[in-house]
Amino acid sequence: MVGSDTRHHNLREHAPVINFDNVTKRYPTQKRPALEDVSIQVEKGEFLFLVGPSGSGKSTFLRLVLKEERPNDGRIHVAGKDLARLSNWKVPHLRRRIGCVFQDFRLLPNKDVFENVAFALEVIGKPRRFIRKVVPEVVELVGLEGKADRMPDELSGGEQQRVAIARAFVNRPMILLADEPTGNIDPATSIGIMKVLDRINRTGTTVVMATHDAAIVDSMRKRVVELEEGKVVRDQSRGVYGQAY
Amino acid sequence: MRAQFVLSEIWIGLRRNLTMTIAVIVTVAISLALFGSGLLINRQVDQMRGFWEGRIQVTIYLCNEVSANPQCQENGPPTEEQRAQIQTDLEAMPQVESVTYESAEEAWQHFSERFESNPALVDAADPEDLPESFRVALHNPQDFNQVASAFEGAPGVDNVYDERQILNRFFDLLSGLQNAAFIVALVQIVAAALLIGNTIRLSAYSRRRETGIMRLVGASNFYIQLPFLLEGAIAGLIGGIVGSIFIVAAKFLLLDGMQDYFQFATTLPISELIYVILLSIVLGVLLCSLASFISLRRYLRV
Repeated sequence: MVGSDTRHHNLREHAPVINFDNVTKRYPTQKRPALEDVSIQVEKGEFLFLVGPSGSGKSTFLRLVLKEERPNDGRIHVAGKDLARLSNWKVPHLRRRIGCVFQDFRLLPNKDVFENVAFALEVIGKPRRFIRKVVPEVVELVGLEGKADRMPDELSGGEQQRVAIARAFVNRPMILLADEPTGNIDPATSIGIMKVLDRINRTGTTVVMATHDAAIVDSMRKRVVELEEGKVVRDQSRGVYGQAY
Repeated sequence: MRAQFVLSEIWIGLRRNLTMTIAVIVTVAISLALFGSGLLINRQVDQMRGFWEGRIQVTIYLCNEVSANPQCQENGPPTEEQRAQIQTDLEAMPQVESVTYESAEEAWQHFSERFESNPALVDAADPEDLPESFRVALHNPQDFNQVASAFEGAPGVDNVYDERQILNRFFDLLSGLQNAAFIVALVQIVAAALLIGNTIRLSAYSRRRETGIMRLVGASNFYIQLPFLLEGAIAGLIGGIVGSIFIVAAKFLLLDGMQDYFQFATTLPISELIYVILLSIVLGVLLCSLASFISLRRYLRV
């Protein structure tokens, strides 16, 4: 009995958090598929860079994970769920397990740092007491202690992105998706952002980051998946940005 | 669900689109006022029908010297026997409830009493002008035609007159008013629905940042849409309340004024007014919520 229990536990441990199985995605207006026969497994706790030029399919990959788009072919599993069989009304529950960070931060300009982070919990109906306890912790985790009452326009780009990360992480998601999070930030500040993402990754959260930033990819030495015209052209653990093979 | 959050979102939405919100409220109010007034008239007509149907009579006028009917001119006034025959035949009919005879003298007396205030008319008339008649009350006013066909052309009968005809003319007028109100209300309701759709679309557009984030962090569709739905519903509610004021005005100014003018003996009870108002408000809220919902499905894809 103990043995089978352990095996079951191991199975779950080893099931990928994100599993793309021969996934093809075509947009109606475009001739070339945005993703073509892509198979990628992302394990729990992994840190994955998704690299490639614009239009190579990075954003489509992220949108598919969130079930904002549906694949034309292939199967996608996220957090153990087959997305094709996930009914629409359950999609919000999937998204609660996935945090998202974008190049343009997407903060609410009329709310301060605390309120921006709290917003993510308010709209999923968390009790006020819980919010008051959790939000300051996360604000501190991203390195914004003492700035909880600042408005977004009083913060630098790097600080705004930290707020966005705090908001994405405050509900302790299983997966954090970051789409060019350092795209609007100078290189020196980007290092700070990467440190925050690394810290989040160390809590056991799977991080998938789409990026153009070669310096960052090279410095982190994490798994790199390179897309080109919708196809996986490289999947390398402890990789670098450039064509190193 | 955090009520305070939802309420503040609604308030922000209504305030941000203030001019559109006012347009929605006015349109909804007008359409509901017309709808409610039409309904009030409808109720009034129903009630008056019920009241009058029990009271109206069929009058069978008998021939006299001045009757224009060729049959009368040929045979002259009815004989005693003919008169008695008509009365017995009437009383034998199953449709007839009661029969009252009014002699020519009585008719003249009633006539002069009725037009006491108009002596010129009384002077111009001659006692011989007024015919004797049978006043017939029917169990069911719809049976008029059977009675009419049985007696029209019978010896001594000038003509058979149904009081319902006057009443019907009046009812037709009211029905016309009612239909006009309903048609304009329908057009207004369509306009209101389109306006609400547009308002919600604007509202969804101006809050796309918030709703986008809500979607991303996994807020349920219901939670995202609720503020917009309630925004529409509240605009509908306010429109309904304003419309109700118009309905009350229509009742006391229009209907009661008409009542004084035409002297109908039935007043619409307040309970009917309350029923019409509640129905209008519920309709307004439902209409606005539905229009918001449809609009949301198009502009707030989840």
